[in-house]
Amino acid sequence: MNRGGEWASQPEGRVETALAGLAGPAPGDFAARVLQRVGIPRDRYDTYLHLDAPVGGLYVAFGAESVTGSALGETLPGPRAFEEAHLARTGRSAIPTTRPLPGLRTALRTGRTKNVPMDLPQLTEAERAALDAVRTIPRGQLRPLAWIVRESGLTDSAAVTEALMANPVPLLIPCHRVTFDDGGPCDLRYGPAVGVALRDAEGIDDDLVGLSRSGTVFLGSDTTRIYCHPTCAHARRIARPHQVPFRSARAAREAGYRACKSCRPIAA
Amino acid sequence: MDTTAEPLCERLATDLDDGFTELVRVHASTVHAFLLRVTGNAEEADDLGQEAFLRAYTALQGYSADRRRALRPRAWLMTIAANVWRNHVRTCVRRPVAGTRVEDSCESWPAAGPGPQERADTAADRAVLVAALARLPERARVAVVLRHVVGMSYAEVAGVQGCSVGTVKAQVSRGLGTLRELLEPEVALLREVTR
Repeated sequence: MNRGGEWASQPEGRVETALAGLAGPAPGDFAARVLQRVGIPRDRYDTYLHLDAPVGGLYVAFGAESVTGSALGETLPGPRAFEEAHLARTGRSAIPTTRPLPGLRTALRTGRTKNVPMDLPQLTEAERAALDAVRTIPRGQLRPLAWIVRESGLTDSAAVTEALMANPVPLLIPCHRVTFDDGGPCDLRYGPAVGVALRDAEGIDDDLVGLSRSGTVFLGSDTTRIYCHPTCAHARRIARPHQVPFRSARAAREAGYRACKSCRPIAA
Repeated sequence: MDTTAEPLCERLATDLDDGFTELVRVHASTVHAFLLRVTGNAEEADDLGQEAFLRAYTALQGYSADRRRALRPRAWLMTIAANVWRNHVRTCVRRPVAGTRVEDSCESWPAAGPGPQERADTAADRAVLVAALARLPERARVAVVLRHVVGMSYAEVAGVQGCSVGTVKAQVSRGLGTLRELLEPEVALLREVTR
């Protein structure tokens, strides 16, 4: 009897924990198929999936034709947390699916997210204007807060930082491409470590960030007499012997340089 | 246990479509897991799960707002799922699928066994356990799965099974005993010897 008890006590817990381990998640699109079969209109809920991206991938939620929210995998413990956060923010349920919005995968792979359709009714007018300006920053380039302020037609940078902090669609609205006016990275939404990883993935090397930090705000070319933001595609083409650093737009203009028409540096 | 129940029921009461979407989001995995472990077949679990939710929606349409608010969603869904499964088993017994044409059996062949995904999921230990689970009698299987896979309380399981708490406890305990014997025959043998 004694030995029997000894044997019984061990496997007892084991069978039960093994049984508990059998409760796995449903296959990818089970819930979505249920809703489709029951006939819930598509505009009553969002679907989401987890896409490949640096920093633990990206959860993206979308309605019938536009993105309604996203979150970086590393900032969340799991899909359930994303569902809860999405519900709390938008009041809409996010149902897992396996089919992404057309064009979404490509946009993430290429980093060209400017034209991904978005539907963000929770934002205020100012936030929307600021984030729309952030969306126009090309992949692999950086822009200072003052640039966002000017492009969005807002009056002060407080509204912009607020919008950056609230950014409901990180990565698809590339707030990691925004810097403070002194050139230091402005990772308000998710901290510097994540920001560095995102910039690395886009090939924004620390040299350029460092260049900005040392006081160079603009880079000019002594052959074309044009000055740019240092990460502008045109600035990157300037051969090293022809690079002319400037500390301010005024200094550049006084030296007889004009502003680049692509990156439109602020005329201070 | 049902920590999400309150806001969920409130949603159900105010707007059926919104609430139902939320119900599916929160409980789809549980219903699917229950049916998968009871039927032992992913395809069947999928079909029965859809059927169960369809029934739930039809039932909710007839409920008053107060009744929806007072609902305990998980236990209620499990009752529906268990009934759907029982009906399915009964139908299969009454109308056994016999004499299928060759084409049919060819078409349904790939789904019969576990796929590569399923096989990877239930490697070794799990496969043995799943097989053992399938050998339990039906009522005991439902009781064991509800109690230990889904993680419901004995009272909730009793509600689903439509019997007393004591009966459920007996079913679960006997079911676990059988499982243990199936998993480790040598242990059972030893126990008989030492008894």
